[in-house]
Amino acid sequence: MKISQKVFIGVFILLFLLVGIVHGQNGIIRGHVIDGKTGEDLIAATVFIPSIGTGTSTDLDGKFSIHVPEGSYVIKISYLSYQTITVTEIVVEADEVTLVPNISLEESGVNLGEATVTATAVRSSEAAVMLLKKNSTTVLDGISSSNIKLVGDATAIEAAKRVTGVSIEEGKYIYVRGLGDRYTKVMLNKTDIPGLDPDKNSLQMDIFPTSLIDNITVNKTFGADMPADFTGGIVNLETKDFPEEKIFEVSAGFSYNSDMHFKSDFLTYDGGSTDFLGFDDGRRDLPGLARSSSIPTPVSGASTDQVTRFVNSFDPQLGAKTTKSFMDYDASITLGNQFQIGRGTAQENKLGYIFSASYRSDYRLYNEVFYGEYQKFIDPEKLELRYATTQEGRLGEHSVLIGILGGLAYQSGNSKYRLTAMHLQNGESRAGQFDLDNDGAAVGQSGYIAYSDNLEYNQRSMTNVLLNGTHKFQENNWEMDWRLATTLSDSYDPDIRRTAFTVLPNRTIFAAGAGGNPSRIWRNLDEINTTSRIDLSKKFNLFSSPSKFKFGGMHTYKDRDYEILFYDIQFFGEQSWGENPTASQVLEPENLYPAEVNNVYYQSGNANPNPNEYQSNVNNFAGYTSLEFNPVPKLKAVLGIRGEYYVQRHTGRDQAYAGGNTAKGNNLVNEKVLESFDLFPAVNLIYSITRDQNLRLSASKTIARPSFKELSYAQILDPLTNRIYNGSLFTYKDWDGNLTETRIQNYDLRWELFLNQNQILSISGFYKSFDDPIELVRIPEQQTSTEYQPRNVGDGQVYGIELEVRKNFEFISPGLKNFAINTNLTLIKSKIDMSTAEFEARKVYEKVGETIDPVRDMAGQAPYVVNVGLTYTNFEKGINTGFFYNVKGETLHIVGGGLFPDIFFQPFHSLNFSFSRKIGLDKRTTIDIRVSNLLNQKVESYYKNFTAQPKIFSSINPGRSFSLGIGHKF
Amino acid sequence: MKKILFILPFLALFFFTSCGDDDDGLTCEDICTNGTCVDGECIPNDDEDVVIVTENISSDATWTSDKVYQLGGRIAVLSGSTLTIEPGTVIKGEAGSGPNATALLVARGGNLMAEGTASLPIIFTSVADEITPEQVASGNYASPNLDPDIRGLWGGVIVLGNARISASNDDGEQLSEVQIEGIPTSDPNGLYGGNDDADNSGIIRYISIRHGGSNIGAGNEINGLTLGGVGNGTVVDHIEVVANQDDGVEWFGGSVNTTNVVVWNTGDDAIDADQSWSGTLDNFIVVNPSDHSFELDGPEGSYKAGYTIKNGSVISGNASTLINTDDNTICNLENIYFTGISEGQLIDRVDHVEGEVNYTNIILDVNPDNLADFVNGPVPAGVSAGNTPQADASVFGWTWAAQAGVLSGL
Repeated sequence: MKISQKVFIGVFILLFLLVGIVHGQNGIIRGHVIDGKTGEDLIAATVFIPSIGTGTSTDLDGKFSIHVPEGSYVIKISYLSYQTITVTEIVVEADEVTLVPNISLEESGVNLGEATVTATAVRSSEAAVMLLKKNSTTVLDGISSSNIKLVGDATAIEAAKRVTGVSIEEGKYIYVRGLGDRYTKVMLNKTDIPGLDPDKNSLQMDIFPTSLIDNITVNKTFGADMPADFTGGIVNLETKDFPEEKIFEVSAGFSYNSDMHFKSDFLTYDGGSTDFLGFDDGRRDLPGLARSSSIPTPVSGASTDQVTRFVNSFDPQLGAKTTKSFMDYDASITLGNQFQIGRGTAQENKLGYIFSASYRSDYRLYNEVFYGEYQKFIDPEKLELRYATTQEGRLGEHSVLIGILGGLAYQSGNSKYRLTAMHLQNGESRAGQFDLDNDGAAVGQSGYIAYSDNLEYNQRSMTNVLLNGTHKFQENNWEMDWRLATTLSDSYDPDIRRTAFTVLPNRTIFAAGAGGNPSRIWRNLDEINTTSRIDLSKKFNLFSSPSKFKFGGMHTYKDRDYEILFYDIQFFGEQSWGENPTASQVLEPENLYPAEVNNVYYQSGNANPNPNEYQSNVNNFAGYTSLEFNPVPKLKAVLGIRGEYYVQRHTGRDQAYAGGNTAKGNNLVNEKVLESFDLFPAVNLIYSITRDQNLRLSASKTIARPSFKELSYAQILDPLTNRIYNGSLFTYKDWDGNLTETRIQNYDLRWELFLNQNQILSISGFYKSFDDPIELVRIPEQQTSTEYQPRNVGDGQVYGIELEVRKNFEFISPGLKNFAINTNLTLIKSKIDMSTAEFEARKVYEKVGETIDPVRDMAGQAPYVVNVGLTYTNFEKGINTGFFYNVKGETLHIVGGGLFPDIFFQPFHSLNFSFSRKIGLDKRTTIDIRVSNLLNQKVESYYKNFTAQPKIFSSINPGRSFSLGIGHKF
Repeated sequence: MKKILFILPFLALFFFTSCGDDDDGLTCEDICTNGTCVDGECIPNDDEDVVIVTENISSDATWTSDKVYQLGGRIAVLSGSTLTIEPGTVIKGEAGSGPNATALLVARGGNLMAEGTASLPIIFTSVADEITPEQVASGNYASPNLDPDIRGLWGGVIVLGNARISASNDDGEQLSEVQIEGIPTSDPNGLYGGNDDADNSGIIRYISIRHGGSNIGAGNEINGLTLGGVGNGTVVDHIEVVANQDDGVEWFGGSVNTTNVVVWNTGDDAIDADQSWSGTLDNFIVVNPSDHSFELDGPEGSYKAGYTIKNGSVISGNASTLINTDDNTICNLENIYFTGISEGQLIDRVDHVEGEVNYTNIILDVNPDNLADFVNGPVPAGVSAGNTPQADASVFGWTWAAQAGVLSGL
């Protein structure tokens, strides 16, 4: 984390040294010319302004820029064998840039003459993404920054769920077509980035503020130029680069939730002085010597004074306290510009910069939080579920998110270079108070009543630097794109404190066998990720139609360090806390060793070496080649093949080795745990039924590889859920410890119809077969605690259909042309063949009247995903408003087995409203109004078994919030 | 140009984070009192009288009373191997909790021949305990430096066998076999249960287990003596558990008979039986548990069997209840005397619809008029007020509890 910040600062200093003074004299017209058929940039198209006899030609990005005096202009754009377009009503003001984006030229047929459009008409929102979609060689969906703005989404994750077939889990993780996070890949500027959650494969997208994002695209089918490790979709976040016009935008907003804000009983605890900046100032750091293999305890031989000093070196706060919560607020600033270097020459050099910074602060108070652990009854006649432990209470969260992005872009002749640096910083402080009820009659439970205070802090940061070059050699039709990107990421949970008093009939104490002793945990994950890729392509004619040959290579290196350290609070002798003790009194001086009673000291839960620590790294070398051509008119074929050589190494050990059993224990030192070479063929066929209709067919093979943690001997106790995670390398009676990759065959068929004004209708069908899918399996031998292990389970299949409609209501009445519906629907069926062990474990608890099939849903696979948006857009008045609905069907979350029922995510019916209006003389000020969770739904997951009444696994109420934002362009 | 000034505050934010780590002023020397500091790491001093055990017992081994055996981790006596421990031997577990917890575990098929004598008991304790084999030989069994309420310093002793347990539904072929509490499933030596009720795990006699019960996670600890699926070919006789953070003695199924037991100052329950243990506990004393004196559960699978607990005396002290049973508990409770009872301590269930609990000659040292205050429900016929101890305390002279005088009057 320290390194990443230095890199970040360095890049920014560099950036600002390079940026000169922004100046302007006349006005500027800037535009972008594309081929209306292929969507590609048109290079060297002629741009001419008849009224003043000035002109230029488009550069390698199809862009042009003309300096003109104030006034109203008409420009003509022409290109050999293309229809000439005249754009009217271009109003230019002094020192301002007037944009004419998305000028699309059609190849001239017999009847095509000239076409005329107004400047306003070409400026509409989704055109760029739509054109990309229409002409993409793979099945692609996306959302652009302008649409993100319309909907008013604050973070990338909220924006992404508008994309067809996308759903969101836990508010952070993106699922495409309802497939779990294992099968979705997130990339930043087409390069790999590390995830921030040690337990997940995909990236937490809630830390990307939308103000830094230019567009989000989701590829649902594989092309040889993409990494092969995705199945549902590959999500690419493209950060902003070259501004077309001078930008200086400031915005600020507030959001009010009546259940959460201005409440005087908001739960929190004292953090560090820099919590408001999203990181801890060191207050929560582990005391220096706690890391040592022997810490001072009353029995370690240390002196009384040493023990006391050591106990005092920990933050004495264990209890949550109440304070008044503020409302959510956010602010952002974006500035950027481009200017010419060497003006007057035909091919001008351009230098552009962009800088964006944003800050958010959110307060969330959940008053009715419920977590449950339930079991089946042993008796086959008892159909209901019984509880083992329930936790009910309140939770306060304060989250701070800062995002900063700086970019420089330079274009000279046929080359364009881009340098982007980004830093994201998120700190989330959490304080909860819960009442626990454990039922002694349940299997493996001892029965107790307890109440706990939980204090947590999670600090996440990510620093990304990208250097990108694009070269287009017009003479020989070659194009080259290369990227170098490095990302440093860190997720740090310093000092997670759990303090649970057990209430006995006659006194309240800490009981190790019941609510447990207080514990403190430090958890850290560091990852570095370096990607380099190069893509080359050449256009040529094959079968007398334009074709493209592509090849390239990519190398990704990832290195992750992970560590958990934990400490128990122990009592040297008897405890006595008085009546109704609170967590905040535990570490008061009179209870610390040496004392009359209680005698608090710390005991280390960390063996040396630490089994809860590992390092892993991955090297992935990839190369590909593909050919895009038209074997017959109207049919475009893209045939490609990609090879990936993947090596994963692991350094870590099991508890036995850590405990000193070097003979029988397992210890890996940078050992290869996975090495594979795979070839991934991809076939994409696009048949143009008409100019606006495509039929797409694609077939490919992709892969899902085990994660770092999965291929390990790690045995990790999650302090928050009290669950134990076992790496896959351990063997069991029915598991050989040999976790393999999942290989997936994908087939897609899609019909799509593009209409004017960005209207679309598409229907897709898909089928995927999974060879050896990996799932987290509950280990049935363990009934006292909850243990999981990732294993290859039986083969799986997923198939489904997808429907997308984006249509305005002009067909009903011309007056309704500003009203539109934007909806997408995905229906999916999944099935997994159970392993023999799972099937037998389920059979043992089969209820009377129940028939257990050896087939079930795939974990994490939603049966349906629905997105509906009803919008009203009036460009003239600058009004955008709409209702947006999103829901995902009941999804198998955790696979049960034996005594333990399956857990299902429940549909969360999210209905949001947003309204934005541009006001002021020049419409430079925008006002946004939003209402989130209009239906006031809870986020819940349930245990379910046969006919039993469902029981809550977790339930949390996000409440309804009202936001008001204001933005101004200077 | 002025506009750029807007950015400076944002940039400044990122300089804050370079603040150095603060130090709490302790050095390696401060904490390394039993060793030498090498590069800031504390290396324990060598002691030729101490044998540090870090490997599982995979062939027959004998621990002799002239040495102290220090458990460096979770040490298993593997199937087919026999660990013999001589009378008067002292075994000490290193400190730690969670994965760091130390324990002696006898796996299914393993054999523990730990035959102490009334004059030379075998002591299992913490590495912090300064007790020596010489002291034991001299007849003084108390810890010289640790009070009898210091808990949770190490794990405990776990014996696992092949006898029947009731942990899940059997279909005739699938036998119940589960992982013992406190041991992660990745250690297959933690599995217990089978179909051999006559299974023999060895002889465990005159053993005192002290200061154990490491915390593994909430509700997941190591008992003083854990007997999981242990068969009745095994001898378990003359056992003392002192200051264990979890339960004193816990049976998970199995058929082993257990006699002459003292449980003193446990941090949780004193006597705990689960999963249809089918043996008998005969002659025992419980002193001052922190939770239930008796935590008596029923079957957890389709196999159903009960156990008998008889001839015992209990000094209730801090206990939360007198007897805790579940609705499906199956057991006979005979000749048990409770004294030192305080208000709120109850026999907390007398109706058992699914199971069957027989109370015979259960004597509560309370005013006969108030007897009903100590029973949750109608007082069963076998429960009465009185003051006649039921255990034969004379056989416990070898225990720390007896030497400390806490058994006097019983």
